[in-house]
Amino acid sequence: MLSLILILLASLFFSGIIIRTKSILSGRRGAGIFQPLKDVIRLFKKGTVYSQTTSVIFRIAPVIYFSSIVIALLTIPFGSHRGIISFNGDFIFFAYLLALGKFFNIISAIDTGSSFEGMGASREALYSMLAEPAFFLLIGSFALFTGHTSFYEIFNFLHLGSYITYLLGVMAAFVLVMIAMIENSRMPIDDPKTHLELTMVHEVMILDNSGFDLGLILSAGYLKFAMFGAIISNFFIVDINFGYSIPSYFAIQIIFAIVIGIIESFIARFRMSHNSQFIFALTSVSILIFFGVLLVLEKF
Amino acid sequence: MINVLLIIFIISLLFLSIANRLKTYARVISLQGFILFGVTYLQLQEINTFNLILVLLETIVFKAIAVPIFIIYLIKKNNITREAEPYLPNFISLIITTIIIISTILIANSIDDTALDKIFFVVAVSTLFTGLYFIATRKKIITHVMGYLIIENGVFVLSLAVGNEMPMLVNLGIILDIFASVLILGIFVNKIGDVFKDVDVDNLTELNDL
Repeated sequence: MLSLILILLASLFFSGIIIRTKSILSGRRGAGIFQPLKDVIRLFKKGTVYSQTTSVIFRIAPVIYFSSIVIALLTIPFGSHRGIISFNGDFIFFAYLLALGKFFNIISAIDTGSSFEGMGASREALYSMLAEPAFFLLIGSFALFTGHTSFYEIFNFLHLGSYITYLLGVMAAFVLVMIAMIENSRMPIDDPKTHLELTMVHEVMILDNSGFDLGLILSAGYLKFAMFGAIISNFFIVDINFGYSIPSYFAIQIIFAIVIGIIESFIARFRMSHNSQFIFALTSVSILIFFGVLLVLEKF
Repeated sequence: MINVLLIIFIISLLFLSIANRLKTYARVISLQGFILFGVTYLQLQEINTFNLILVLLETIVFKAIAVPIFIIYLIKKNNITREAEPYLPNFISLIITTIIIISTILIANSIDDTALDKIFFVVAVSTLFTGLYFIATRKKIITHVMGYLIIENGVFVLSLAVGNEMPMLVNLGIILDIFASVLILGIFVNKIGDVFKDVDVDNLTELNDL
């Protein structure tokens, strides 16, 4: 319960901090931190326009996308508190809930009959397909390392102790942050600022959505960011006393948001043809993490 | 600590397989030289001091500094184009390098020998095959030489695994280094890259006896 409330709280300001960081770094006045929230509220008040070529899939897809993310939130623990849903192997449940939401997003984009949206859907499908083995190898390695298979137990039994485990921790943090960026369609993979349909990935898929549906998709994106921030912060806050863990959780979320803002301000997006090799490199690094875990456990 | 360095060494191979520019290749080879310096220092505890100093100097001076700088100088001097120009796309290179690493891990796991230091074996053999793969799929002669340098780094890692018992093998690895520098000097002296407009191996296929 605690983790759900904290993730919802963090999602309120997460995107705002990214946008604020970007505006400060580019020397603009910029909007306030709660501007994305106001945008979503404005969208929720509006009606929705549906194209005549779309079918029922297009109408239910945003709701399924949003609800899949909300259910995925329930599996995330907070430090020594379990998530609302917690069972052995819940990370597989988590990954495929995200995949379900993404699947409906993709077929609703194809459903509109727009060639741009089909292109964006194809790219999104490719990138998620390449990122999936990286996620499973990473969490699977941790499951092997700790001997437990749920998020709560993995985070609670994870203890780093020697040089090689620190290296594995650094590599895992890198892979996890990059997976978060891919899942949220952010900078090195996809540029949310782009104005050309040909170069968009995620943005082009939601071109036809309007009003309430668009609000749902945007708020699902904010929740997703806060969710990955919570997963990353779980690596640090398990052993900390309860009074300090909540402030440090928010500190980690804010630092994560600021880092994303800095990355988006200073790095150009990869060439579209280089994206797939970059994402596959994450899988290769995860294989090395798995190999390292085998070395640490002396099973190799 | 040795394991950490060796894992970073494998990551450098993955990075090399998706690198675009020749300068990046030279820099990664230099990084590998520094990593080998660290591994040598930590691993070779039992050989005599004079030999250890010789090996350490060789890794840091030749592998890490002199050869990469000379390669970058060559690229500039012979007007070699900056791109690596592989025959296969980088994405396939990455997949093949990953497959090489996985299969060496599997092979090492199936060998049942307590005398074998497995992580050295994995790193050495995957480096050897990755270097061979680079030689086979890159067009330019200078990238062939760099592939040879990578192979030779692999041989060096393999010799380090048994370096305490047989210091002679490490010295043999150093002789390979000298051979590689002869190859680089060959490119330098013959100014390949100046004579042909591009140093593609394609030009060699036009040779025939009348």
